[in-house]
Amino acid sequence: MASRIIETVSLARRSFLKIIPVAGMLAACGTAKKIRLALNWKPDPEFGGFYAADYAKHGLDVELLPGGAGTPTVQMIGAGSAEFGIVSADEILLARDQGNDVVALFAAFQNNPQGIMVHASRKLESIGDVLKSGTLAIQSGLPYARLLRKQFGFDHVKVVPSPGGDLTAFLNDENFAQQCFVTAEPLLARRRGVDVKVFPVSDIGYNPYTTVLATSGDLLRRNPDMARNMVTAVREGWRSYLDNPAPTNQRMHALNPTMDAASFAEIAEAQKPLVEANVLGAMTKERWNTLAAQLRDLGDIKQAAPAEQYFRSL
Amino acid sequence: MIESPAGADRGVALRLKNVRRTFGDLVVIDDLTLDVVASEFLAILGPSGCGKSTLLRVVARLNEPDGGTLNITPADSKFQTAYVFQDAHLLPWLTVRENVALPLELTGADRTEHHARVSRVLSEVGLTEAETRYPSQLSGGMRMRASLARALVTEPRLLLLDEPFGALDEITRFRLDVRLRELWIERGMTVIFVTHSITEAAFLANRAVVLTRRGCHIRLDRRLALPQVRDNELRLSRQLADEMHALLGAMEEEG
Amino acid sequence: MNKSSRKAILAAMPFLVVTIALEALVRAGWIKAFLVPPPSGIFITIVRDWRELFEALAMTSEGAVLGFVLSTLAGIAIAVFLSSSRAIQEAFYPYAVFFQTVPIIAIAPLLVIWFGYGMRTVVASAFIVSIFPVIANTLSGILSTDPALCDLFRLYGASRSVTLWKLRFPAALPQILTGLRVAGGLAVIGAIVGEFIGGQGLGSVIDIARTQQRTDKVFAAVLLASVLGLALFGAINVVSRVVLRRWHVSEQA
Repeated sequence: MASRIIETVSLARRSFLKIIPVAGMLAACGTAKKIRLALNWKPDPEFGGFYAADYAKHGLDVELLPGGAGTPTVQMIGAGSAEFGIVSADEILLARDQGNDVVALFAAFQNNPQGIMVHASRKLESIGDVLKSGTLAIQSGLPYARLLRKQFGFDHVKVVPSPGGDLTAFLNDENFAQQCFVTAEPLLARRRGVDVKVFPVSDIGYNPYTTVLATSGDLLRRNPDMARNMVTAVREGWRSYLDNPAPTNQRMHALNPTMDAASFAEIAEAQKPLVEANVLGAMTKERWNTLAAQLRDLGDIKQAAPAEQYFRSL
Repeated sequence: MIESPAGADRGVALRLKNVRRTFGDLVVIDDLTLDVVASEFLAILGPSGCGKSTLLRVVARLNEPDGGTLNITPADSKFQTAYVFQDAHLLPWLTVRENVALPLELTGADRTEHHARVSRVLSEVGLTEAETRYPSQLSGGMRMRASLARALVTEPRLLLLDEPFGALDEITRFRLDVRLRELWIERGMTVIFVTHSITEAAFLANRAVVLTRRGCHIRLDRRLALPQVRDNELRLSRQLADEMHALLGAMEEEG
Repeated sequence: MNKSSRKAILAAMPFLVVTIALEALVRAGWIKAFLVPPPSGIFITIVRDWRELFEALAMTSEGAVLGFVLSTLAGIAIAVFLSSSRAIQEAFYPYAVFFQTVPIIAIAPLLVIWFGYGMRTVVASAFIVSIFPVIANTLSGILSTDPALCDLFRLYGASRSVTLWKLRFPAALPQILTGLRVAGGLAVIGAIVGEFIGGQGLGSVIDIARTQQRTDKVFAAVLLASVLGLALFGAINVVSRVVLRRWHVSEQA
């Protein structure tokens, strides 16, 4: 009896939902619909190419939505409150495993900028050393953290929550180690007078694509042209930002005054090696398969679907 | 007789001389002079808003006069004044007994005597059976009796009442009027009773003062020619009607 | 059916209706499971991860209750202090309002510096977030004592402190308890926020589950946090009934 009701409701839903895309397209023909691109942090060089892009040239009216700590970009895409969003590759796999149909389109960072930052005075040699003493502030739910734990164990280090971009605890305590983007927080720490050493997470073999432009499978099916145009615009934007970051930095700085202009320039320069590629934003099956296998081993996803489902090259 | 038969030494005498009390720009009491004889039962009558409550508060020394003097003789014993408000104002979290005992606690009276003194005064107002109840469990009349008992427990030499029976039904009011008068006769304190009811003033007091609407001036100061012992039959008598007539005349005058 | 079981059933009805409706909507696809998990999924998660969740619940309870007790004691003391004169109120009350308005997330890094990672930060956070309603309600209760009763005390020569403890404070109890009811729920919120920063308890479970995209676990932890808030609320109601039963209209039939 209950399943009958659910069946009927399900049928009703499917019929109802069929009407929506038609209505949507009719509406889209009439007016230029605002496209929302949800960022997962405040405007900073990490998103340089997205701010530099000339969307209008490709017939797109795009609004960038700045984020902050905990902005759920992958859920926003799934719920339809943003057409596009910036996520990391591992988030995409985790989301898909939960039934959220998100697809990657463009990987701004070809290499993972995540790392662990320590005071240089501690004279540590490798990531494993970091886990031998002191305090480590990380987001322990993230796959790389779980991988660290699996490889080295957390028995000798005190693990505490990551304070986001805030450096107060790090600056005040020599034995405090903190998760960071190798291109960002270390520079800021040095600017505040502390010499740091950084261990990229990719050192332990974990290297997902990062700052990935993603969208819903639904949008891809309904409007592949929009997705294609987005990717083209964004690719051009990143090229432009790599060649000349200054004007875009100025715009982003106005939106995010918490970081000074000099830092913007320095970070933009530092992140170039992680972004630069023959084809900006391109992704390969092999990388995705590696990541899927790693996550399945960690138990974060139930099984690794074929890589084609995770990404499109447009 | 003017004073209580219990004797003039049981009550205090008051002398108000040129008393003035203002409230911002408003002159509530303007140059009032009044002598109150020891152990007398004085009713103060006046229309609403004429300042009679203010006058009572000045007498109680809850407010200081802005001009003039107030003398009370004899002045030696402390806390000889008791006050009964328009509402019973009992502490809702205390029982009747505890409420009545409150003044004894606050004035630091001898602890060993508390119980007996409270019992005595509770039986005087007829509340002995209700002593363990809480105010929310009492009727309006019983609450007022408790308030009265509380006022009497310190054996005050000056008892001030500010329209205490106004919120009660007529029969309860009559009963309490009679009881109050009996208690005055037994104990002999000076009583000043503020009211806007001519009937009540005439029934209760030996002397009535009628105040003007503005400035609290004395329009009439009259000794009432009525028997010492009074019961509710008196309410229907010619004597009372005559006294009420005189008071009514004063009350009805303009200005 | 007796009175209290009827009350319990009435209170449970909206919860049951919502749970059943939610389950149906998620199963049929109207609501996406990765946004709002079906109640059955939440229940399964609670059962499967019960040890972790209940240990976390115990930690959060400790932090919330400690923070609440501290804010009760300190809040009442501060209110008594503020009630002593108009000048003191005008000088210091605005700073009490600071506790109300400070965004706890903003001072979080400072909390960690002063109190370290762990229970002390959690208790501090619960304290800061929950103290203001105690201060505000206690002060209001103390200052709104019946003026006639204050006159009565004055007439019999009661000192300020006697008037405070024998009159103003008992008279203020109903309002103090109202303040405590509000503070209880806030203490739970404060504890959880403190745990986001300080790293333990249900707050930590929520934070980590969120980064793992485990919405079912997030909801399970949130549900347990609500249960904690309800329990605190219920405890205060019991205290209120015992204290006020004899004399206050709010606790009488």
